[in-house]
Amino acid sequence: MQVHRRISMKIREVADSVFHHGSQSTPSPAEMAQQTEQEKEFIAHFSDVQRPLPPGEVAQNPRNKELGKSSKGLSVRDFELVRTLGTGTFARVWLVRLASPAEEDRDKVFALKVLRKVEVIKLKQVDHVNHERSILADVAGHPFITTLITSFSDHDSLYMLLDYCPGGEVFSYLRKAKRFDENTSRFYAAEIVLILEFLHEREGVAYRDLKPENLLLDAEGHIKLVDFGFAKRLGNSERRRSFGRGFVDKKSGETYTLCGTPEYLAPEVIQSKGHTTAVDWWALGILIYEFLTGYPPFWNSNPIEIYKQIVSKPVHFPTEPAISPEAKDIIRQFCTVDRSKRLGNISGGAARVKEHPFFKGVVWEDVYYRKYRGPIIPPIRYPGDAQCFDTYPDEKVGREVYSDELKRKWEDHFKDF
Amino acid sequence: MSHSSESLDVIESLKKEILETNPTDLLQFCANYFTRLLELERSQFLSSTKSQKPNMSGSTFPGRFGTHSNPFGGDGGNISQQVASGPISKVMEEDESDTITSPTTPNFGFKAGGSTFGPPFGGDASGEGPPSSFKAADGFPSQYGMGRRTSVSAESLNPTAASNDNWSPPYHHKTGEQLERLKKSISGNFLFSHLDDEQSAQVLGALVEKAIPAKGIKVITQGDEGDYFYVVEKGSFVVYVNKSGSLQPGPGGLGDEVATIEPGGSFGELALMYNAPRAATVMSAEAGCTLWALDRITFRRILMDSTFQRRRLYESFLEEVPLLASLTKYERSKIADALETQKFPAGTTIIKEGDAGEAFFLLESGEAEAYKNGTQNPVKQYTKGDYFGELALLNDAPRAASVVSKTEVKVATLGKDGFQRLLGPVESIMRRTKYDEGVEEIDPLHKK
Ligand SMILES: Nc1ncnc2c1ncn2[C@@H]1O[C@H](COP(=O)(O)OP(=O)(O)OP(=O)(O)O)[C@@H](O)[C@H]1O
Ligand SMILES: [Mg+2]
Repeated sequence: MQVHRRISMKIREVADSVFHHGSQSTPSPAEMAQQTEQEKEFIAHFSDVQRPLPPGEVAQNPRNKELGKSSKGLSVRDFELVRTLGTGTFARVWLVRLASPAEEDRDKVFALKVLRKVEVIKLKQVDHVNHERSILADVAGHPFITTLITSFSDHDSLYMLLDYCPGGEVFSYLRKAKRFDENTSRFYAAEIVLILEFLHEREGVAYRDLKPENLLLDAEGHIKLVDFGFAKRLGNSERRRSFGRGFVDKKSGETYTLCGTPEYLAPEVIQSKGHTTAVDWWALGILIYEFLTGYPPFWNSNPIEIYKQIVSKPVHFPTEPAISPEAKDIIRQFCTVDRSKRLGNISGGAARVKEHPFFKGVVWEDVYYRKYRGPIIPPIRYPGDAQCFDTYPDEKVGREVYSDELKRKWEDHFKDF
Repeated sequence: MSHSSESLDVIESLKKEILETNPTDLLQFCANYFTRLLELERSQFLSSTKSQKPNMSGSTFPGRFGTHSNPFGGDGGNISQQVASGPISKVMEEDESDTITSPTTPNFGFKAGGSTFGPPFGGDASGEGPPSSFKAADGFPSQYGMGRRTSVSAESLNPTAASNDNWSPPYHHKTGEQLERLKKSISGNFLFSHLDDEQSAQVLGALVEKAIPAKGIKVITQGDEGDYFYVVEKGSFVVYVNKSGSLQPGPGGLGDEVATIEPGGSFGELALMYNAPRAATVMSAEAGCTLWALDRITFRRILMDSTFQRRRLYESFLEEVPLLASLTKYERSKIADALETQKFPAGTTIIKEGDAGEAFFLLESGEAEAYKNGTQNPVKQYTKGDYFGELALLNDAPRAASVVSKTEVKVATLGKDGFQRLLGPVESIMRRTKYDEGVEEIDPLHKK
C-alpha cells in the first residue's frame, strides 16, 4: 500500500512536470532532452498501480487523466521496434521496448500502433483516428480496455503507445480450439458486457467493431479490448450532459459512417437507418454465436450475400454442437432486427443483460474486479514474449509519401497527436 | 424465473425452430424437438452434478461462497477439475504437458496452476497443429474462411441539415415508363427495399443515364475501386471473374465468364455501401447499350439526410409532449429511433372514441380533427407537430375522442408496448417530475 502510494505520487509529479509545462517559448535542446527523459520515466511506470478502480472513478482518477495525453518530447527513436504484433486495414502494431532504458526498465515493453498519414487520408479515416485517440484517452484505466499511455507523431506517421497485451487475440485461441465451451464463452461475454455498459452508459460511446480479432488477452487471461478506430461519441451521451470533459466533436459535428466488419454489422448499419449503441449488442450476439460454434451465423465469401442474410434471416443454430437454450435465447435476443426489442437496447440496458439466464450465478462485482480466473491463461515466459501472436510479413517498400501538398491540406487535422 | 414464463420460453423457442426449419410433418417435428430437449437437459443435469461435486467440498474461489457453483465452470483452485467438461478441456489436456508455466500467472490467494492452454501458434515449446480431437469437428462448415477479418469503412458524411452546405440530390428526368422499369428492377434489392416513398423517389431521380456505345467496353474492372451501382436499361453485359482476384493483362486475363446481365438486371451494389475492390469485370456484349448509374455518396446522402431530418423532427416533437417532459435527451432519441411512420388518406379514423388506447401519434404532416360523440363540430384541430393519444402510454382508459384525418396525413407512431420495452413503465417516468396538474389536464383531448 505504502509503496503504491509513493509510486503513484511520483507518477503524478513526473506527469505534472511533463505535461503541464505551460506555454513558454520553444524549449532549448537541453530542456527537450530532459522532457523526453521524464516522459520515458512516466511511461515506464504507468502500470505500477494496478488495482481496478470502480467504473465511476475511472475517468476522474488523476493518474488516469494523465494517461493518453499527447507527448511533447517522445519520438519513435525513443523505442526499439521488436516485431509486428498485428496489422489491420489501417495500421500496423509493433511490440516495442524503450531504446537505451534505465537498468530497471529493461524489461518494460509496449505496443505501438503506427498509422501512416497518407493511408489515413486515402482511406478517409482522419476523423476516425482523432476519435480513436481522444476516446481511448478518456477511457484509459478501465480494467478491460487497452490503455493509451501517450501519443505522438512525426513527418509521416501517427503513433499511439498502448499497454502491451501479451496473450494475443482471442481470435487465435478460438480458431485453434475450433470453438469454446459455454463456460469459456460466458466468461468472455461477461467481461464484454461490463465494457459495453461502461462505454454506452457512462461514456456515451458506441464501439462499433466488436469481433474476436479485437479482443486480446492480458497476462492473466482477462479481456483487453483494442482498436477504437470506429468508436463514436454519441451526441446525446449522459456524460456529455453532466460532466463534459472537453469533447465536443470539434468542427465535424454529427457524422454518419457505415463501418465495422461485414459478419458483425447490425442490420440498421447496412440499411443506414442510423446507428446507436444498439449495434454493439447485436455484435455481441454474433460474437457469442461464433464462440460457441466456431463461425459466425451469417457468412459467405461474397459480402453482399452476408448483408442479404443479416437483414432478412433469423439466426439459425446447428444441431452440432448442442447449444443450451439459455445461450440460444441470449443470442436471439441480441440479434433482433427491431431495435425496440433488442436486449441491451431495451429498458434496463446492460443491467437487463446481466440478469439474463445465460449469466445465471455470475457475481458481477467479481467479474469487474477480476476475481474469476481466466479460462485460458496465456503461456507467457517473460515480459516481452510474443509467442501468442501470429507472424506478419514486412511492410511493402515503395510506399506513397506524405507530400508537401498533402501536408498543407491535412497537417492541422493531426495536431492532437 | 417463474414456471409460466419458463414454459412460455419453451413454446417460444419451439415456435422459432418451426419457423426456421419449416417442417413438413409438424407433429413429428414437435415430438422430436421435445425429446431432444429432454435428452439435453438430462445429460446437462447429469454432467453438472458430476462436475459440481468437487466444488462443493471447499471451493476457495475468491468472492464466492462455498456452495455456489462457478458460472464459468471449474474452480480456480484446481486445474484438473476444469478439465472435466467441454471441448476446451481436451485442448488443455493435450497441451498441458507441452506448455510452460507463466511466471506472471496471477495469484488471487489460491494456487495458480500454470497454463491451461498452449500458445495459439504452437510456439517454441509445443510445435503442432490444431489438437487432433478437433480435426474432424462435425458440423463445421468446411467452406468457412477461417482467416482474420479486416474492417470496412465508408467515408464519413455530415448530414446536410447539420452542416452549412445546402446539398440537394441530383435529379435526372425519366419517362413514366422508365421509372416503372427502374422501380421494378431495384424493388427486390435489400439496399432499396426498405426505403420510404420520398427516399425512393429521390434515389430514382438521382440515377443518371450512361450510354455504352460499343461492344467490349469494361464498365467495371475486377480489382478496381468501386463507386457506382448500375442498372441495365438496354443491351446486355457479360460478367467475368478472374480467380486471382483482379483483371490480369493478356489473353484470358478477364477470367471465366460467369453470367450475363439483361435489361432490368443490375450490378455493383457493394459500391453503394463502401469502397471495395470490384469482385468481377462487367463488359458490354453489344453496341448501343444504356445503363443507369448511381454513386455511393449520392445514395448514402439521400438516406442519411432523410433519416437525420426525421430524427431531428421527432425529437423536437417529443420535446413538446408534457407527459414526456422528464425524459432525458438520450431516452427521447431512443423513442425517436423507434417511431414508425404511417400514412392515412383524408377521412380516416385514426383513433376511435371508446376504444382501448394502444399507441400514441405525432402528426408529421397534414391536418386532423378530434370529435366527441354527440357533438357535430370538431372539438380540436391538429396540425404539424401536434400529438394525440399519448394517454394510452399511461393507462388503458378508453379513448376520450375520435381523431379523423382532414387531409392526407403522415403520422409517427409508437405503441405502449414498444414504449415500455424501451423505457420501462411510464408510471416511473411520470414519478420523476411531480405533476401538480392532474393527468387529465395533460391530455389535449380533455381541454375544452
Ligand atoms: N495493445 C496491444 N497489445 C498487443 N497487440 C495489439 C495491441 N493493440 C493491437 N494489437 C494487435 O494489432 C492488431 C491490429 O490492431 P488494430 O485492430 O488496432 O488495427 P486496425 O488497423 O485498426 O485494425 P482493423 O482492420 O480491425 O480496423 C490487433 O488485432 C492485435 O492483434
Ligand atoms: Mg482491428
